[in-house]
Amino acid sequence: MNGNDLLNGIRDKFKDDITNVFEKSETRVYIDITAESIVRFANYLFRDAGARFNIASGTDARDHMEILYHFIVEEINLLISLRVKLDKSKLEIQSLANLFEGANWIEREMNEMLGITFHGHPDMRRLLLSDDWPEGVYPLRCDYKEWDPNAIRDRGV
Amino acid sequence: MGLKINALLKSPWVFHLSTGSCNNCDIEVLDCLTPRFDIERFGMLLAGSIRHADVLLVTGSCNRQSSIRLKEIYKQAPKPCLVVAIGECALSRGMFIHSYNCPVPLDKIIPVDVYIPGCPPKPEAIIAGVVKLIEKVKADKK
Repeated sequence: MNGNDLLNGIRDKFKDDITNVFEKSETRVYIDITAESIVRFANYLFRDAGARFNIASGTDARDHMEILYHFIVEEINLLISLRVKLDKSKLEIQSLANLFEGANWIEREMNEMLGITFHGHPDMRRLLLSDDWPEGVYPLRCDYKEWDPNAIRDRGV
Repeated sequence: MGLKINALLKSPWVFHLSTGSCNNCDIEVLDCLTPRFDIERFGMLLAGSIRHADVLLVTGSCNRQSSIRLKEIYKQAPKPCLVVAIGECALSRGMFIHSYNCPVPLDKIIPVDVYIPGCPPKPEAIIAGVVKLIEKVKADKK
């Protein structure tokens, strides 16, 4: 198996779900997919294509929210990034934590930092923020505003 | 107080607390204790518990979760307790001054006696700072 075979296989199997494929280099591919197909995609890459789930990353891209799921197929040295664009009015997606344990904590982090809801997550507690952090305030969003009246933001000089 | 300060200065036991630092300042603090810099020649000894310590060494930028613990630790310390802020983060939060997780600097949470700047400060700077602290306390006593 090489990278082209794998990508052609993915294109055939998921042709309705893929919106764009960007081959950045021989070892790096970005695949834009719809949010509904993420579990099927991850299942195929993880169980059938022998990929390893590396990490996911969430970004606030101002007009939409973006999640990148990074999968590595080590035997052909290919890093596949599945890019899901979420509408800001509907920030929810199916959880992958039941598929592989590695998605558990990063989904908890994305939930508290960006406010994305992951349906079917087994244990959606807070991971990084402090205990007295208010509900519904998401620090890594672009429109985050200082909420703490006691915070001091100058160096006192 | 006079006897207590006298006893404290003879051999100040230090307790090392990291309030969310990148660990580089902590490595420098540990360097001070190793034979190359050997802070024990000034009578300083690393204490395992704040209840045995006279000096509190604080590194890191005091995030929301750890500043509560920091206050608890300071309450548990036997008084008089001297506080030494080590590194840029503990002094002014450094590059984390606008971080959502670091609302107030260390000296607004507990009183600080000596500030040792640097990112990280050299072991020599830490030793110089602690020696200055001892001199300062001696001068105050007179």
